[in-house]
Amino acid sequence: MKKISLVHIKADRKCRVLEISGGTNLQSKLMNMGIFKGKELMKLSHIGLRGPVVIKSGRSILALGHGVAAKIICEVE
Amino acid sequence: MIRKIYLIGNPNVGKSVVFSRLTGVQVISSNYPGTTVEITMGYLLIGGEKIEVVDLPGTYSLEPTSHAEEAAVNLLKEHPKEEIAVINILDSTNLERNLLLSLQLIEEGFPVILCLNMCDDAGHKGVQIDTNKLEAILRVPVIPTCAVTGAGIKLLIERIREAAPIPRGKLEHEERWKEIGRIIEQVQHLEHRHHSFREILEDASVRPLTGLVMAAGLVYASFKFVRFIGEFIINKVTDPLFFNLYQPVLERLTFHWQEKGFWFHLFIGDLINGKIDFKQSLGVLTTAPYIEFGMVLPYVISFYFILSLLEDIGYLPRLAILLDNILHQLGLHGFAIIPVLLGFGCNVPGIMSTRVLESKRERFIASTIISIGVPCVPLQAMIFGLLGRFGGFYVSGVYLVLFSLILILGIILNRTLTGYSPEFLIEIPPYRFPPLQMLAQKLYFRVKGFLIEAVPVVLIGVLFINILLYLKLFDIVTGIFAPIIQGLFGLPKEAIVALVIGFLRKDVAVGMLMPLGLSAKQLFIAATLLAISFPCVATFIVLWKELGLKDLVKSTLIMIFISIIVGGMLNFVILR
Repeated sequence: MKKISLVHIKADRKCRVLEISGGTNLQSKLMNMGIFKGKELMKLSHIGLRGPVVIKSGRSILALGHGVAAKIICEVE
Repeated sequence: MIRKIYLIGNPNVGKSVVFSRLTGVQVISSNYPGTTVEITMGYLLIGGEKIEVVDLPGTYSLEPTSHAEEAAVNLLKEHPKEEIAVINILDSTNLERNLLLSLQLIEEGFPVILCLNMCDDAGHKGVQIDTNKLEAILRVPVIPTCAVTGAGIKLLIERIREAAPIPRGKLEHEERWKEIGRIIEQVQHLEHRHHSFREILEDASVRPLTGLVMAAGLVYASFKFVRFIGEFIINKVTDPLFFNLYQPVLERLTFHWQEKGFWFHLFIGDLINGKIDFKQSLGVLTTAPYIEFGMVLPYVISFYFILSLLEDIGYLPRLAILLDNILHQLGLHGFAIIPVLLGFGCNVPGIMSTRVLESKRERFIASTIISIGVPCVPLQAMIFGLLGRFGGFYVSGVYLVLFSLILILGIILNRTLTGYSPEFLIEIPPYRFPPLQMLAQKLYFRVKGFLIEAVPVVLIGVLFINILLYLKLFDIVTGIFAPIIQGLFGLPKEAIVALVIGFLRKDVAVGMLMPLGLSAKQLFIAATLLAISFPCVATFIVLWKELGLKDLVKSTLIMIFISIIVGGMLNFVILR
């Protein structure tokens, strides 16, 4: 079990959200889109070095800016 | 007693399509979140009663986190709950995420009816939803629909009156998600499907390598197609109509026109070698219709055809992901590419759609970039028409100058403006293949909009210009600006008329350059200046509305400054 930010997870890996270290606005935004502590995600890709991260959450595909992704801390097997 | 019906739902679930079905009011709908930035209203007849229907911008929750969401939620609370009905539209392929808003609406005591849209798509994807069970659990009417084809809409209308508040305890966020998980388990059945070709494409377009290859290919192909279709319409349809049908009629008219005075000058303009020349005569009946119908309209049709196709398929948000890195340098995020692309059609909807961007700073940067560096279709069509005969080098040159300008300007604005630019957080829609009929409707709607706005302005504009020219009133302006125009930009002093007219409409302005017999270099400079300098009056008004007076002045000063620098640089340094 490793604790790692969404930015550093490799593509095509599953993970579980441990914490979101952003402000309340970001937290509630993510909450409204179904991303919160305990949620299982799958990282699909990462564009460029400081580019956005694409994830699959449930049946939706979301694109998160690099800064947002860096604030989502997950655990991977 | 229902007095108002609200349509509410997550972004990109097809609210606008349902709205069009209910009210018959045509609105633009696309396959990306945030197409609707304005609140649209229409009417629906139920049992002989006319009820107002309001299409709200998409929102994920009743606790808004952006301006568009806030606007939607505030409007919903404007009327007493007893007097409204709320149609909550959900994407059946993604029931789980959509149910959050539904539960919130029910908890808040709104009279809700659920509309499970895109149910045909859900079927294709192997998602089965037991609507009766969902209805039993939530105790509100649930109607499966497919708004694109119209299936289920009749039933939806019939059952609107059943919407009533249901007592339900309020939950905390995480509790609510758990509750949704329990509901989903009971009502949704997923069949395992193998990856379809569509899903493989969806996946490839968001990965760095394959995504970039696809993007480059698509952008290139789109550009080629726009030119191909545009030229096809010109060569096969409009030019034959103008030259073989319309010109002989006009020639006969001029033949019988004995006194070639003021009125002749107004309507026919100057004869070139004793004949009417659609590009140079400058009359209300000659050049004006030729500019609009013979040069601009074909490209308006081809541009909006390709843009609508890309929008409805759902490619644009994927392009946004790939461009996020670059746009960050300009103080924007990837999604800003959508307003920019719309701006290539017409700056007005482009600037209006900057509302999807959250901070004021982003909206200022995006609007300024669009009004300065993004030429609209009418202007581009005229640039093709005029510069095209000097070779592709000059046409691509104009784009190159504008593109560099966008980059430089964006980087400078990003470094100097205070404020913040938030990060990008959007949902990527699945690819959808729109029925041709929907596409045709959207194209018709946009082309009609163009004609209604452009034709009267062009006809009256040319009339007005001809009167001023006849009375030689432009000579005063020409005299004042001659040093700048001639000395700095290397253009003949008559070109000032075109630059001034640019404020009215860009296509007419380029039209004014046609009789001047400019060299390739002069045309290049004039066309570039027309693109950068003052936006047309319609864009100006929208800028004012969206940015406020202070930022409008700021944006305008930047514009004047850049026009002078770029015009001078092109004349003295680059094209010397």
